[in-house]
Amino acid sequence: MVHPSVDLTRAGSTLLAGDNFLVVEIDRFQGPLDLLLHLVRHQDVDILQIPIARITDQFLAAIKLIRSDQLEGAGEFLEMAATLIQIKAQMLLPRQEGEEDQDPRAELVHRLLEYEQIREISNRLKTAEAERARRFAKGWVPSRPRPEISDTPLETTWEDVWEVALQVELPDPADRRHTLPVRYVSMEDKELLIVDALAEKARVEFSRLLCGFEDKAHAVMTLLAGLELSRRRELFLRQVTPFSELWLYRRREDDDMPLAEDREPALEKPEIPRGTRRRPPWMPPEEEEPEDPLAVPDVNSDVPNDGTMSPETT
Amino acid sequence: MNITQIVEAVLFASDAPLKAEEIARADGSLDEDIVEEAIRALQAQYGESERSFQVVELAEGFQILTRAEFAPYLERFDTVPRPSRLSGPALETLAIIAYRQPIGRIEVEYVRGVACGGVIRTLQDRALVDVVARGEGIGRPLLYGTTQRFLNHFGFRVINDLPRVEELPVVLREGTPLGAEEEAVATAEPDHG
Repeated sequence: MVHPSVDLTRAGSTLLAGDNFLVVEIDRFQGPLDLLLHLVRHQDVDILQIPIARITDQFLAAIKLIRSDQLEGAGEFLEMAATLIQIKAQMLLPRQEGEEDQDPRAELVHRLLEYEQIREISNRLKTAEAERARRFAKGWVPSRPRPEISDTPLETTWEDVWEVALQVELPDPADRRHTLPVRYVSMEDKELLIVDALAEKARVEFSRLLCGFEDKAHAVMTLLAGLELSRRRELFLRQVTPFSELWLYRRREDDDMPLAEDREPALEKPEIPRGTRRRPPWMPPEEEEPEDPLAVPDVNSDVPNDGTMSPETT
Repeated sequence: MNITQIVEAVLFASDAPLKAEEIARADGSLDEDIVEEAIRALQAQYGESERSFQVVELAEGFQILTRAEFAPYLERFDTVPRPSRLSGPALETLAIIAYRQPIGRIEVEYVRGVACGGVIRTLQDRALVDVVARGEGIGRPLLYGTTQRFLNHFGFRVINDLPRVEELPVVLREGTPLGAEEEAVATAEPDHG
């Protein structure tokens, strides 16, 4: 889309006075198109009617500044110079009829405009890049490991230590009193309670043993007593699932140790309201009483039904 | 647990943009439309509650990114890699490839007027461009195009997000001669060499 009616006679006729813009550092330019664009754009000339003679002269003057140690990129500039000279020569030749749209500068103008547009796009990309760099995705702030304690500089001086040491009061070795809390629930009582309960029935629920005692200490001691009796092989404990009822079973085969018969009755036998199973408030409620795995048809019978009971001692 | 939360969890756990169809794989009840709807809900939620991050449409997918105004605070951490900016020549080369892809090195060099082999290699190393095809000309030259990472790096959703040629202040010839010209240049090249 080059301007079709280029007035060739005017080419090169609009020379500007000052040539100061020519004092350019060739390093600043990223190639011949960049330099050419600079020359065109800084002289306020119509890019479609480039005064080719003048621009060519300026371009040649500028690339004379390329030092001999910068020859690596000089080829591209020289190639452009050659193109410019070629165009200049073509412009001097008379054009034939029907060739108006074949301005010799057309291709160069194409390239310049295209290059200029790429420059504009580059600037937009640069802006977009900067804007994007301000937003962070996950993982851009990795956690820093805590430095080793031995690597941390210690600010404490010996004077600090000494000062504190002077203030230390040594305890009087004569004054050594210990306070011990009284155990107000005895394990022996609980053992008797259990043995007593098992004298009546072949098995008893742990929760039934707690009826009438609100204090947690009673539950703890009852459990300890149960474990102790179990250790002495006087009974065994069974619980089917966690948090389900804990059952205490009389241990039958200890023939030489008839349960509870030789013992004194419990000193403090709680009233066990039969049928009403009161549960201490801190105990988790039981969702569903599981079927006793070793249930005997007659609870009061001394004889469990089969041998399943015997070796499963806790 | 609702669908929006599932989408949020997936986005939160990801350190790269995810396509809607990828997010939809998280659960059988999801499809692309549902995911996009959920993302819109999240965007509204985050906006209302003034979160420091947003769900951003990026590189053909979605990602949770902090809002730009928090950059000064995040940049204070010395563990945050200082984002490296592309040089002028790299940007120019990238711009040409972005608008004219797939494009060979010779054509890029023609537009810029200088050799671009090294710059293209750098861009390739940074995974901003890649070889996407081979040309038809002599020697079947490599043709380059931009990558997902290019979109992410510049914060574009899709390639069409690039500023449109009509919006640019500079007039440019149409991009159509690309194919023909490519051939011509590519064919002509061995003569020069």
